[in-house]
Amino acid sequence: MLGIKNHKARGSIVFLTAAVLIISSIFYLRQGSFPIEYSPHPNWDWVVLVLNYAILAYFLFVAIRDFAQRGISRHNILTVVLTLAAGIPLAIFEFSQAPHTPLEVVPTLYIDHLSVIMCLIVSIIGSLIAVYAIRYMKDHEEHRMHLGELKETTQPRFFFFMLIFLGAMNGLVFANNLIWLAFFWEVTTLACYGLIRHDETPIAITNAFRALWMCLIGSVGFSLAIMFLWNSPLNTISLAAVIENGAPVLLLPIALLCLAGLTKAAQVPFQSWLLGAMVAPTPVSALLHSSTMVNAGVYLVLRIAPAFQGTHLSTLIAIYGGAVFLITAILAISQSEGKKVLAYSTIGNLGLIILCAGINTSLAIAVGIMLLIFHAISKGLLFLCAGAIEHHIWSRDIEDMEGTATKLPVLTGITIAAMFSMLVAPFGVLITKWGAMEAATGIGVWSTLVLVLLMLGSGATTVFWAKWIGRLLCHSPMPGRAKREPLIPLYHGILLILIGCAVVFSILIASVYNGVIAPSLTEAGYNAASAFTTSAWFLKSSIGIFAAWPIFIIIALALLIPSLATKAKPEESHASYMCGENVEIGTDEFVAVADERTQLKTGGFYIENMLGEGNLNRFVVPIGVVLLVILFVLVVI
Amino acid sequence: MSTGWLIGSAVIAVIVAPLIGGLLRGIDRKLTAHMQGRIGPPIIQPFYDVIKLLGKKPMVAGGAQLVFAYAFLALIITAVVFFALRQDLLVVLFILFFGSLCLPIGALSVKSPYSQLGGHRELLQFLAYEPILLLAAIPIALKAGGFPITNIFEYGQPLLPNLWITFIALLIVLAIVMRKSPFDISGSEHAHQELVRGVLTEYSGPYLALIEIGHWYEMVLLLSILGLFWVVGSLWWLSIIIALGSWFIMLIVDNVTTRLTWSWMVKFAWGAGITLVALNILFINLGWM
Repeated sequence: MLGIKNHKARGSIVFLTAAVLIISSIFYLRQGSFPIEYSPHPNWDWVVLVLNYAILAYFLFVAIRDFAQRGISRHNILTVVLTLAAGIPLAIFEFSQAPHTPLEVVPTLYIDHLSVIMCLIVSIIGSLIAVYAIRYMKDHEEHRMHLGELKETTQPRFFFFMLIFLGAMNGLVFANNLIWLAFFWEVTTLACYGLIRHDETPIAITNAFRALWMCLIGSVGFSLAIMFLWNSPLNTISLAAVIENGAPVLLLPIALLCLAGLTKAAQVPFQSWLLGAMVAPTPVSALLHSSTMVNAGVYLVLRIAPAFQGTHLSTLIAIYGGAVFLITAILAISQSEGKKVLAYSTIGNLGLIILCAGINTSLAIAVGIMLLIFHAISKGLLFLCAGAIEHHIWSRDIEDMEGTATKLPVLTGITIAAMFSMLVAPFGVLITKWGAMEAATGIGVWSTLVLVLLMLGSGATTVFWAKWIGRLLCHSPMPGRAKREPLIPLYHGILLILIGCAVVFSILIASVYNGVIAPSLTEAGYNAASAFTTSAWFLKSSIGIFAAWPIFIIIALALLIPSLATKAKPEESHASYMCGENVEIGTDEFVAVADERTQLKTGGFYIENMLGEGNLNRFVVPIGVVLLVILFVLVVI
Repeated sequence: MSTGWLIGSAVIAVIVAPLIGGLLRGIDRKLTAHMQGRIGPPIIQPFYDVIKLLGKKPMVAGGAQLVFAYAFLALIITAVVFFALRQDLLVVLFILFFGSLCLPIGALSVKSPYSQLGGHRELLQFLAYEPILLLAAIPIALKAGGFPITNIFEYGQPLLPNLWITFIALLIVLAIVMRKSPFDISGSEHAHQELVRGVLTEYSGPYLALIEIGHWYEMVLLLSILGLFWVVGSLWWLSIIIALGSWFIMLIVDNVTTRLTWSWMVKFAWGAGITLVALNILFINLGWM
C-alpha cells in the first residue's frame, strides 16, 4: 500500500479490501455457533510481544524527533514519560514476574455476539468510510496543491494507516489475551496518531501528539492492570477470567481498564484529543468517531461491565457518564465549527453509553449496545455529510452553511435526515435515549442525580441540532424548487447507503435486538428476558413500551405527505418582513439609513459569553479530573 | 379498557381537543380583557380568526417553512392520539417535542430577522421546559409502576398527594408552553415589540391557522397531563378541576407579570423546576413519599 503511487490502483485496492471486509464480517454473523474460541500457535504470542515493544519504541522515536525538530514542548515530554510508564511495567511483568511464557492464554481469541456486533460496525461502516475517502482525498489534495501547501501526494501513507486501523480494530474486539488486546490497543493509537498528523501542518502535529499522550494514559492503565491481575490471587491475563470472577478482589485492575476505555472514548477530561483530531481530513474524523478508536473505549467498558456489577464503581461510572453527557451537550451549543459540534455530540453519546454500563442492568446494557450501533451509523454518516459539504463550500463553519438547502439540496436533505436520526422519534438513537431513561428509573437513591443529568443533557442536545438544521435551511424567499447538484457516486452513494441503514435498522429494531443484542446479553451473563420483550412492532421493557412500527408509520405519514404533496406556487412566494423597508421582492436587501441598499445578514445563536469553551473549560476539566479521582479513591478504599 | 374503547377515545380526542382548546383561548381573551378593564372579543372569536385565516391566500417565504407548518400540526395530533391510546408517557412526550421543534425549525428556515430571532428564542424556551417535562415523567412512573399511561389508571390512587412538588414544576412548563408572561419571549402577544411576532412573523394565512390549531392541541395535551394527577376513584372529575384551575392560574400570572429575558427564564426553569422534580424523585426513592 505504501508504495503505490497510482490513484486508480490504490482506489481499487481500498475498494476490494472494503468489499472483502464487509462480506467476511457478515459471514461471521451467519456463522451461527457462538462463542468461537481460537488460539493460534504460541509463537504468535512472541510476535505480538515484540511488535508491541516496537510500537512503543516508535512512539519514543517520534517524540524525540519532534524534540529535535521543534524544540521541547509539553506534548513530546509527556509522550516520552507516558511511553516509558506504559512500557516499563509491561517489561517488568514479562521478564521478571512471569518468566516462563505467561503469554499463552487459552483461548487467545474469543468471539461472541458483542465482538461480532463490533466487527460488523468496524467492517461495514469503516469500509464505507475508506471507500468515500478515495474520492475525498483526491479532492482534498487537489485543493491543497492548488493552495501550494502540498507538492507530492501523500495518499499512500493515508490509506496504509486507514486499513491498519480497520485491521487492528477487528483484532481488538476478538482478543481475549490481555497482551494481545493491549497490542491492538497500541496499534489503534499508532494509526490514530498517523492519521491526525497526516497533513503535517504545525497544528496537526501538535494535535497528533496530544492524542498520542492522552491515549498513552490509557496504555499505562492497561499495563498496570495486567501487572495487578497477574499478581492477584487469580493469576491470569485472560479477559474472560477477569469478567467471570469480577469484583471485589479485582476492582482496581478493573477500574484501570475502565480508565483505558475512558481515555480512548475521549471522555472528559480527555476530550481535547478528539476535538484536536478535527484538523485531520474528514474521513479520519468519521472513522475515529463512528467505527474505530472511540468505540474501542466504550466496547471495553461494556465488555467488562459484568465484572463491576453491583459495586460503587458502577454507580460512579453511571454518574460520570451522565455528567459527560450534560457537559458536552452544553459545550456543543456554543460551537460554530460544524465538526466540533459533531465531536461534542460524539463524546456526549459515548458518555450515555458509559452511563448505561454504569447502571449495569440487563436493560441498560441492551440500551448501551443499541446506542453503540445506531450512533456509529448516524455519526459516521454525519461526518461524511460534513466532509462532502465542506468540499463544496470549502468551509467547516456552520455560519457558512447558511442556505445550503438551495445550493446542495440532495446533500443537505441527507444531512438533515441524519441529524433527525440523532434527534427525534422514531429513530434508533432516540429509542436508546428512551431506554436509558427507563433503565435509570427507580434503581436507587443515586439514580435521581443520573436522571437529572440525563434530562438536562437531552434538552441541550435538541438545541444544538435544531439550530444547525435551521442554518442549513435558512434562505431568502425564492420561487420554485432548488436545482439538484451533480451527484458524485462516492459521496452521495455512500451517504445514501448509510442513511438507508439508519432507517432500516430503526424500523427493524426488534429484529436487531433479538438477532444480536439479546444473545450478547446472555453470553455476558445478563438476563435478556428482563431487558426487552419484543414482537414485530413493539419493544417492551418491564416499565414501558415503545410501539416502534405504529410510531414509524404515523410519523412518516405526518412528514412525508406534506413534504411531497405541498409545493409553494411561485406567485405565493413573498419577501420576508423587514418593517416595510424591503428594497423589492426577490432580494434580501432593505433600505437603511440615507436610503442606502443594505444586504440582510442573519446568524445563529452561540451564546459564547456564557457557554463558550473559554468560560466553561475552566470548570469542565477540573470536574472530570475530580470525578475520576473520586472514582479511584473509592476503589482503593 | 378494550382496544375498541381506546381507539374510540383517540378519535374523540382528535375531534374534541381543538374545540376545547379554541374555547379556552376565547375565554382567556375575554377574561384577560376584563382584568385589563376592556370588554374583549366574543368567546368564539378564535374560531372566527382561524376560519378567516384558512380562507386567505397562501403566502410562503421559504419552501421548508410550509412543510414544517404541516408537520407541527400533524405531529402534535399524533402525540394526542398516543396519549388517548394510553401509551408510554415518555413516548408521548418525545412525539410532542418533535412536533414542537418543527415550529422553530420552520421559522429558522426563512431568512428574516424577526423570524430568526423568534426561532432561536423558541429553542431556548424548549431548552427551559423540555428537561422538566421529561423529568416529571419519572416520579409519575415511580408511583404508578411504569411509564404507560394505562398504569396511572390502574394505579388506583390519585397521584397528587405524593407528587404535588412535581405538579408545581409542571405549572412552570405550562406557562412556557402557553407562551404566557413572564415566559413569552419567543413571540410576544402584541406585535409592536422588538421581535414583532417572533417565531410566527413569517407565517401567514392558512399556515398560521395550522399553527394556531396546533397550539390548541398542545395546550389541551399539557392540561390533560396535569389532569392525570387525579384521574381515579369517585373523585375523577377533580382532574378537570385541576387542569382548569392550573389554566386559570396561568391567566392571572400572565396579567400580573411582564416579559423577562431568556437567560432569566432558563435559569429559573432549570433552577426551580428541575430542583422541584428532582426533590420529588429523591423523596420517592428514599421512601418518604
